[in-house]
Order: sequence, then C-alpha cells, then structure tokens
Amino acid sequence: MRRSRIVAAALSALALLAVAASPSSAETPKSGGHLNLMQREDLSQGFAVHETSTIATSFPSLPCFNNLIVFDQTKRAETVENLVGELAEKWSWQDNYRNLVFFLRKNVKWHDGQPFTSKDVKFTFDMLREAPDAPAKLRINPRKDWYTNVEAIEAADPYTVVFRLKRPQPGLLVMLASGYTPIYAAHVNPAAYRTGCIGTGPFKMKEWRKGEFVDYVKNPDYFMKGRPYLDSLRYVVIKERGTRTAALQAGQLDVSFPGETTKTAAEQLKKAVPGLVITPVAQAVSDNIIMNTKKPPFDNLKVRLAVSYAIDRKALISAVHQGGAVPGASQQPKPYGVWGLLDKDLIALPGYGKVEDMKAQARKLLAEAGITPQHPLKVEMSTRAIAMYVDLASFVINELKQVGIEASLKQVETAQWHPMATRGEYQIGANLTGLGVDEPDANYYENYACGSPRNYSQYCSEEVMKLIEQQSQELNPQKRLALVSTLQKKVEADAARPLLDWRLDYFTVWPHVKGMVPHDNIYNFGRMADVWRDK
Amino acid sequence: MKTYIAQRLGIGLLTLLGMSIVIFGMLRLAPGDIVDILFSTGGYVNPVERLAIEKELGLDRPVWVQYVEWMRQILTGDLGKSYRYDLPAWEIIRPLIPVTLELAILSLIVSVALGVPLGVISAVRQDTPLDYVLRVFSLAGLSMPSFWLGMVIILGLVAWIGWIPPVTYVRPSENFWLHAVQFALPSLAVGYRSSALIMRITRSSLLEVMREDYIRTARAKGQSGSVVIWRHALQNAILPVVTVIGIEFAFLIGGLVVTETVFNLPGLARFLVEAILWRDYPIVQNLVMFIAIVVIVSNLVVDMLYGFLDPRVRYGH
Repeated sequence: MRRSRIVAAALSALALLAVAASPSSAETPKSGGHLNLMQREDLSQGFAVHETSTIATSFPSLPCFNNLIVFDQTKRAETVENLVGELAEKWSWQDNYRNLVFFLRKNVKWHDGQPFTSKDVKFTFDMLREAPDAPAKLRINPRKDWYTNVEAIEAADPYTVVFRLKRPQPGLLVMLASGYTPIYAAHVNPAAYRTGCIGTGPFKMKEWRKGEFVDYVKNPDYFMKGRPYLDSLRYVVIKERGTRTAALQAGQLDVSFPGETTKTAAEQLKKAVPGLVITPVAQAVSDNIIMNTKKPPFDNLKVRLAVSYAIDRKALISAVHQGGAVPGASQQPKPYGVWGLLDKDLIALPGYGKVEDMKAQARKLLAEAGITPQHPLKVEMSTRAIAMYVDLASFVINELKQVGIEASLKQVETAQWHPMATRGEYQIGANLTGLGVDEPDANYYENYACGSPRNYSQYCSEEVMKLIEQQSQELNPQKRLALVSTLQKKVEADAARPLLDWRLDYFTVWPHVKGMVPHDNIYNFGRMADVWRDK
Repeated sequence: MKTYIAQRLGIGLLTLLGMSIVIFGMLRLAPGDIVDILFSTGGYVNPVERLAIEKELGLDRPVWVQYVEWMRQILTGDLGKSYRYDLPAWEIIRPLIPVTLELAILSLIVSVALGVPLGVISAVRQDTPLDYVLRVFSLAGLSMPSFWLGMVIILGLVAWIGWIPPVTYVRPSENFWLHAVQFALPSLAVGYRSSALIMRITRSSLLEVMREDYIRTARAKGQSGSVVIWRHALQNAILPVVTVIGIEFAFLIGGLVVTETVFNLPGLARFLVEAILWRDYPIVQNLVMFIAIVVIVSNLVVDMLYGFLDPRVRYGH
C-alpha cells in the first residue's frame, strides 16, 4: 500500500514536471478573436506567390493557401523530420526515389466551394515547370529551376498524384514545403491571384484595401477540424519603419513582420514593453559580395579572393548588425540550418581567420595580381539604394580601402538592380540573398549554377556543377552532407560569391499571441491555423 | 468677369497639356519601368518573358502612340489600368482623394486659425517680448519639417502614454471620433508649419499697412484700436496672406507625402511616390494631372477672391 502511494506520488511529480517543462501543454487553445499583423509594404503582386520572391507577398498570403506538405508550423526547425502533410495526407518515395507519390486529403474545398483534387496539383506544378502541355503560364516564374528534374506529373486518380523524376532528388520534398509552393486552383486563372485569392487555407481573403490592409476571415470549411482558432486577421500595411515599431509598441499590432526587427529595435521594444515575447531566429537571408567574374579585374581569382580575405566578418556583424547576425558559408549555419559548415571548416575559409593575417593575405594576393599602393585598384561598388544595402556596402568599402582597393559607392534604384546584376553590368556589388528553403538544390541551382539568371557573378565551374548534381541525387544523408560541405568550401575558395553573414530576426509578438512559432526561415511560417489569442 | 474666367480656364487647359507632356516624358526618361520592377520582385530577368509583359501592358508601342492613347483615355473619362494592381486606375485613385483633401483642408484651417491672429498680435505688439516669443514660435515652425514633427509626436506619444493614433484609416462613417483623432495630429503638425509662414506674412503685411496715412486718419477720428486693426488694417493687409494660403493649399495636395507616410494615412501623395517607385505610369500620370488641376483651380479661386476682398481689383479689362 505504502509502496503504491510512493509510486503514485512519484508519477504525480513526474506529471507535474512534464507540465512545467512544456508550457504549451498547460495552455488550452481558445477559439475566437482577431489579430493585427504587421505588413512592411503593400503586396507586390497581390496573392500571386508563384510570380514573386518577396516576403511582402508570401507572408500575408500564407493563411489563404495550403501546400501538399509543409514544415510543422508549431516547430521552429525546418528539417525533413518536421515535414507534415497539408493537402497530402501521406506521401512516399517509390522506384528508388524516382517517383514521389502523394495521397491527397478528401473533402477539401476551395474557398469558392469547388472540390480540391489531384487536377489542381497537376495544374500547379505543370505550370511551374512550364510543361509543354501546361494549361496555364505564369507571367514571371522565378522558381522554375526548382522543378527541372520533374519529368511528368500524373494525376493517377482524383486523390493520388505522382511526381515522376528524371533522376532521384531527395531535396524536392523540402522544396515542396516552402511558403513559395502553395497549390493554385485549376479552375482559377493564375492572373486572378494578383487581385484576389482562392485557396484552401485556414482563412478566406475578405478585403484587400490597396496600400492599407488585407483582411481575412476564418474558413469555416477548413479541412482540419477545430482550426483555425482565430476568427479574423488583418495585415496592416505601414511603410514607415518608426510608425511600424510604434504601432507594435502601442499594441495596435499584435505580431511583427518577419525579418523586420533588428537586435537594437528588439532591445528598445523590450525595455519599453517588458511583456513582449521576442524570439531570436535566423532569417535565411545572407549578406554577400557579388563580383563580375567575366570582366577584369574580378575575372582574376586572386583579386576576388583578396576581396574575401579583406572583409572582417566579425566586425561587420558587430558594426552593421549590432550583433544581430552570424557568420556562415553559402548554407545557413548550424544550429539555424541543417547544412551549415562545422566551425573548424568555417575558420579555414578566406576571411574567417585572424584579422591581421587575413588583411595581410589580401594585400599579398593583390600584389601578386599587380595591385600595389602605387597602383591601387579603383572599382565601383554597386548596391541597391536601400538603407540595409547601403550600410553593408559602406562597411565593405572601408574594409577594401585597408588593403588597397579604392571603391566608390554607386547606389542603384530597385528598378535597375536586378537587370543590372543579371546582365553583368557591374564590377562588384553588395548584395542580400534570401533562400526560400534550407535546401542545397534551391540554393546552388539558383545562385551558383552556370547560366542561372540569379547567378549574378556569372561564376561557372565544371567541378562545382558536378558537385551540385552529385549532392542533389545522393540518397545517403551523411554522404550528401559531406558533398554539400565540399561544395560550400569550393565556392568560397573560388570567391564565387563570398558570404559575409546570415541575418537574425528578433520576431516579436504580444504575450496574448499563442502558437505563433517563428522558424529559422522567414518565408515558411505564418499559416496561422494553430495561432490563438489568449485574451 | 466671365471673359476673364474663360481666359484663365483656357490658359489652364494649355498648362495641363504642357504638364501632360512633361510628366509623360519625365516618366519615360527615368531609368527602368514596371517590367523591371516586376522582375525585381522575382529576383531575376528573362528577356523573353520581359517582351511578353511589355506587350501585355502596351509598353512595346512607340512612345507617341502611348501618349495619344493616354490623351484619348482622359478625354473619354477612362484613366487606364494600374500596371501594378491590374485594376482600373480610377478605382485606385478615387478613395485617396478625400483623405488628402481632408488633411489639406484641416491643416489649412489650423494654419489660418493660428497664423492670422498670431501675426496680427505680433504686428500690434511689435518689438515687445510677446512679439519676440511669437517670432521664435513661427521661426521654429518654419525650421521644423512637418514629417519630423509628426515622427516626434508619434514617438513621444508611444513613449509617454503608450498610445498613438490609429494606424489603419478610419472612415468618418465607421467611427467619427476616432476619425477626428486620427486626423487631428497630422493636421496640427502640418498646420503648425504652414501657420508659421502665414503668421510672418500677416505680420509684415500688417506692419506695412499700419504705417499708411488712412490708418493714422482712422485713429485720429477716434476709432478704437481693434476696429482700426481688424476692419481697416487687416482688410488691406490680407491680400498677400490670401495668396500664400492659396499656394499652401496647392502645395499641400501633393506635398503631404511624408506626413501621410508617418501617420500611415492612405492619401494621394504617399500613393504617388509608391506609384513612381513602381513606374506605374497610369497612376502617376493621372495623379499628377489631378494635382495640376487642383493647383490651377486654387490659383483661379485666389484670384477671384482678390475681387471680393479688394474692390479696386476688377477683371476683364
């Protein structure tokens, strides 16, 4: 009897401990209520997520849509283990990773009442990969490269879809979970998403008042019973940063915009409103240097390497980001990303060692390239005329000056930046790159592959292409990780696009906002189905 | 009078035609177009897709054809389609007009209500401590940009009382008092700057008039000081003030960009800047034409007012 009492007491204590260790388990979600979310600028192309690569479109569109699969919205890490089904109930790799089969949910309805079927999935992905017989075409298709390995999409029956691949590509699954991979309705013209939204998501778009806000109401027919918890959402467009922060501080906004809150701003907010919940997460956005490898002087590897050696990454993180960034190579560093290099490998890369040694190495390389204090190198540093770009470029210019490269700043308006970079009409540039998903395929095919329009440095290496292809089809995770590691070291050793740092976000919500878990990638969270209001 | 108005309207039409050519040309001279911006949001450029979009938007046609098409649209009351939003331009512009007009009118009321009486007091109490205080007050108003003042107000309010006016536009029909609160602070910020100018013009103009013989005569006839100032002096000193008010109103219609941005009001000026950045030609062209019309009409109204305020001013001869 006594023994059973002890066991019972121990079990009770364990149960209490478990509850204490997991605060969310103690909180029962409440239904109802409304949230105001911050929106940095108006939606650039409405809800046409497939036609943009900007978070200004993807974040406020997330509640409208669903993917086949998605990163678990209640978990921060974006790993294969955290993939969960949305429109697909189950999925499986078949035929040695040549076929990816999705088994779809039944009884899912579009917001206009039409049934969701495999036809919609086929429509979406045929359009994205620009299949010859695709019934629709996108005006702009920024992620076509993601699907080059898809040979065919087959709608075997209304609730089964098969992705037939040219070769195995395990990373495809992760790309399908991105916030940039929603399913469009086959019965809706893709152009109509620029002005409205017909999705299957937890919220229905009620009104988009241009330049003011986007209103959503709960989708009563959402396929997940009991979700969403909230009745409505409003994404409030506020262009002025000071006003945005003041609105959050004053409680007019409940949730900040992903990637918006710097470390300094977070510290000020916390001081003003101690109750605010601030979560430091990675943005999946890197600062990097693009150099035109097709034209002198940056067609010379020694000059490119000198640039990479010259820039003190730690000083950059401290001066420009006030500590709100982390060093890393071309994949987001651990623990924020899956593929980041180990510290010992990172330290061995150009620009990551002792500052004096790195600067000396830069001067030596420049001297070997015929650049001396008597014959300094004069270049034009291009960057977008946006404060965050200009701050970065100004810092880099100062670093380059210390090794004998005199760079003048050229601010380029947004309208001209990408045409200029794509056409290679620049010498050297300070750039920011966001990765839609932490997956080497998405990164390397976009930014480092020969001929890719986003390979602004126009860097092209046979060895790198081989590595990209090899890692892409490697089925053994450990072997793939090793290949990606080699790839990262190689592109940094070639100064293809020297990485400077990865930005952090200090995602802020009011304490009554529950279930809103920011991810280490600003593009892939915000579905809002699991978010509730404790007030 | 009718002939004068007809003449002025004719000149106004010619001015608008000139404006249309200038704004159309300037926009095309600016580097990049909407297609570049659209590709910017995708982070790449594809020449084939680029040509297709240019064709879709009619940007592949010769520039003069685009101009003639725009003029034809204006004459038929069709303002074209926004490139960015893919919606009729008028549908986008229409809700912006009342916001800016209301802010401009309220700001003007604040500026006149502050500027004219303070200018009169400053002139009447010339070189007294009160005059010095008021002159410093007006100089401060001229030195502080209204957007800076607006930002200081917002940051001050949030820091001291943890409150700021609503950041989402509240229509008067939705909640009149909240609407009034929302417009009060920006009107005060903008009105204060304008009042400084009006006050200085009122003061200098009044000082000049008060040295005139007829003012001395009025005083000699035993009229009270206030009657002399408000009925005789101010009436004659008001013409330059009216001119400034007219200019200020015209300026406010297109010049409230930063105030609208800071207070997050969906007005014309803020939207105009956004449309320029997006090279949304139909929106920019038509908004600028609207602002030009307001400037022309407000100048005409001011000129007409001269006739009512000063019987010596006659039109048509």
